[in-house]
Amino acid sequence: MKINDVARILDGTVCYAGEGPGRPVRHVVASDLMSDVLLVDADDMLLITSLASDQVLRTAQIVGAMGVVVANGKPLPSTMAGIARSLGIPLVTVPLAKYECCVRVHAARAEEQRGGAA
Amino acid sequence: MAAPPDQPGHASAAVPGDTGLAAADLAAEPVPGGESSPLVLLEMIHRLKVRDVMCTDLLTLDRQAPLKRAQELMRANNISGVPIRESGRLYGLVSIDDIIRALEGGYIHEPCGRHMTTHLIVLEDDMPVSFALRYFGRYKYGRFPVLNRGRTLVGIVSQRDINRVLLRELTREVERLERGHKGVNVGLGEGDRLYMLCEYPVVKLDFENAGKAANEIKILLRDRHTDPRVTRRIAVAAYELELNMCVHSNGGTLTFLVSNGRAEVVAKDNGPGMADVEWACRDGTSTANDWIRSLGFGAGMGLPNTKRVSDTFEIRSTPGKGTTVRAGFALQPGTRDGEAPPA
Repeated sequence: MKINDVARILDGTVCYAGEGPGRPVRHVVASDLMSDVLLVDADDMLLITSLASDQVLRTAQIVGAMGVVVANGKPLPSTMAGIARSLGIPLVTVPLAKYECCVRVHAARAEEQRGGAA
Repeated sequence: MAAPPDQPGHASAAVPGDTGLAAADLAAEPVPGGESSPLVLLEMIHRLKVRDVMCTDLLTLDRQAPLKRAQELMRANNISGVPIRESGRLYGLVSIDDIIRALEGGYIHEPCGRHMTTHLIVLEDDMPVSFALRYFGRYKYGRFPVLNRGRTLVGIVSQRDINRVLLRELTREVERLERGHKGVNVGLGEGDRLYMLCEYPVVKLDFENAGKAANEIKILLRDRHTDPRVTRRIAVAAYELELNMCVHSNGGTLTFLVSNGRAEVVAKDNGPGMADVEWACRDGTSTANDWIRSLGFGAGMGLPNTKRVSDTFEIRSTPGKGTTVRAGFALQPGTRDGEAPPA
């Protein structure tokens, strides 16, 4: 599952898709507290947050996230798409709540893994 | 013929009759200008060896060559002395004074071996340049022959040679520092030889730019193929410290240093300082207001997170003055629990 799949599953809008083929989702972290995100030691994480700020993208870059989903239909600051592009971090905005995002992504990954195992 | 002493690190005469001079005689003497020299210059003259500055393109004669030939060599090449060498071994040196005396005495056509200066002070090629500078200060000669450990003449060094190399090295150092102050990598290599110095100003409550320094540090390390796990830990520490300064201090400087296989992130702010450092380092303790918390920070995780990811952690704070936090890292993985050494 890559960032375009995430946007489709969550009925979201891709603000920046990234360059190249992109990385697959290997972990999912949902939090509005960036210090908590910094504690997670996992590669290729998808960061789901209700926080719409530039610092979300800077945090995502520090932890090596493969993409950021801004939930709850929060309007993005005008600077966010540009920062996503400069840092090379895919950015998606979705109307769903964080919990609903987690449920859908989890279900899709489980389905993907079943398909991969078959 | 008295054999020159062969003790490593000692300057000695390589010619018969010379008494030699031990390095210990001069070790206690200060380097000229040393007390007021910038640290970078002092480091340079101790790091560079005589072999790094000496001239190896030598014009020499043997003992049978007439003094007239030495005079011609000096005039044609604008030099003030000709070493007398046979089979690599230094026997003496014909100086301008020797030539003047030969012209006055009418023996300019006699062999060099009969009239050359044989009481020589020499340097060894593995001595530091600081040692050579002491010799120039003490003996007032314009040049010294240089021998290797095998007592073979391998070069000659003048103050001009030293100045030329020091100027070149200083120019390189200044260029590196200038790039570093712009927050740009000043690396010289990879792994243990990687060297960086980057400084980033951090402004109080400037959330528009907060985090940029840590982002740049991560890119610098990633581009130099530093281990991803180590890179991540350094980036997290830099980010937490940068945000901490932005949120809690009156502003300061984030410095990133890499040298000798170790990295250090230093956050030094201009106040207000903390009365209880231990309290500040506990999980979940913070003085941040609701506005800062609404930005996703101020949960009291910054210092504990930094401590958690770093190999060494030091914090010093003076109320009313400021706080300095130092987070250190070994660049080689495998020095922390759960981190595998490189394959």
